[in-house]
Amino acid sequence: MACAEALRVQAYFDGELEGAAAGDVQRHLQGCADCRALVEDLERLRTAIRRDLNPVASPQLRTRITQALDAQAPAPVRALKPRAPRQRAFWLGALSGVSASALAAAMLFILLSPMLGSALPDELVSAHLHSFLPAQLIQVESSDHHTVKPWFAGHADVSPVVADFAGAGYRLVGGRADSVDRQRAAVLVYQHGAHVINVFTWEARRGGVVRQTTRNGYHMIFWTDADLQYCAVSDTGWDELSTLVRLIREQGVREAHP
Amino acid sequence: MDARRARFEAQVLPHLDAAYRFARWLAHSRADAEDIVQDAVLRALRGFEGLRGSDARAWLLSIVRNCHATTYQQHKRRAAVPLPEEGDAQNAHVMVASEPDPESLTLQRDDERTFERLLGALSQEHREVLALRELEEMSYREIAEVTSLPVGTVMSRLARARSALKELWLKETEGEPSGVR
Repeated sequence: MACAEALRVQAYFDGELEGAAAGDVQRHLQGCADCRALVEDLERLRTAIRRDLNPVASPQLRTRITQALDAQAPAPVRALKPRAPRQRAFWLGALSGVSASALAAAMLFILLSPMLGSALPDELVSAHLHSFLPAQLIQVESSDHHTVKPWFAGHADVSPVVADFAGAGYRLVGGRADSVDRQRAAVLVYQHGAHVINVFTWEARRGGVVRQTTRNGYHMIFWTDADLQYCAVSDTGWDELSTLVRLIREQGVREAHP
Repeated sequence: MDARRARFEAQVLPHLDAAYRFARWLAHSRADAEDIVQDAVLRALRGFEGLRGSDARAWLLSIVRNCHATTYQQHKRRAAVPLPEEGDAQNAHVMVASEPDPESLTLQRDDERTFERLLGALSQEHREVLALRELEEMSYREIAEVTSLPVGTVMSRLARARSALKELWLKETEGEPSGVR
């Protein structure tokens, strides 16, 4: 089974190849007994898995889940989220696949900030300010990292550290995707007292970015963790902002070395 | 029933079997799998606004995967640091295994045993890609999305998982011509 084509044969078997690539593999199979045996094995294994290792949810589990759903309170209304989902539908429908706020933030950035110089802090402040426009702040509303983190998988280019620090006074209220440095950044939204803190995460591409800076009265702290660039933006004081940064970094270390 | 709940039931609950199958492949027992699915469905309801037109099944399965990872880590921690009154360290694994489920002791006993033996011997990384490919019939791209892996890794891991399961199955069915035919 040491044929160098084995992976391609598997991809063909799994329906991953089309057109010419599939034709190549078919021709290869005619001449390679090892790979023909591989395909037979894959077929037997698939049949056996579907026959013998294919459990179904019991009716008891369905009942239990229905009961558990019944026991849930109605959806909590969060103060931060304006209840006007229909108005947003225009954007979402017209731009299917493109985050409305990402596009809008990018446009705002082009309009308001000079393209030269240290554009990144300006871009981040713009995105931070822009997030306060109705319905832009939060796209996935949850304090639960189990729902926020998978959401980012489909909407941002990176997978940031996601955790709620309500115990320390920083409540995770949700997340959204936004455009930063021409990437789809993941943004976590925290509430601290009356202040909103946006934590942007994107792929680190440039070295030596400023550690912290202030634009128009908004503080920003930048840091990197592995391949990710983070920036926390808010009108809180430096101390409050650095506390959240420390909490996130500590959580990152815990996740990297559980 | 409010409209949100109705939408949730229409979009997410059709994937309950998929969620259970996947949880069952990941977890150590039926009971654990059922707990994970319940946990995942409730979390999905709370975060339902996050779905927003993405694929509901892939979304639910990533939540199942995260719930399992959390449960598994808790088990590991508990197993690694047994409290004094919970017996000596050699019995620590008992705390990981869950109570036998009376139902599984009847009709399905042999199937369950085969299932436990085969899947128990596969690594977690192998189980998840196999389940997503062979049972959920997901494309490599979809598997990559659920597992947060690059597509190339999905492909090579799938190949290793298949050859590992084949070996196990051959052992399992030694002297029993009706195994993987």
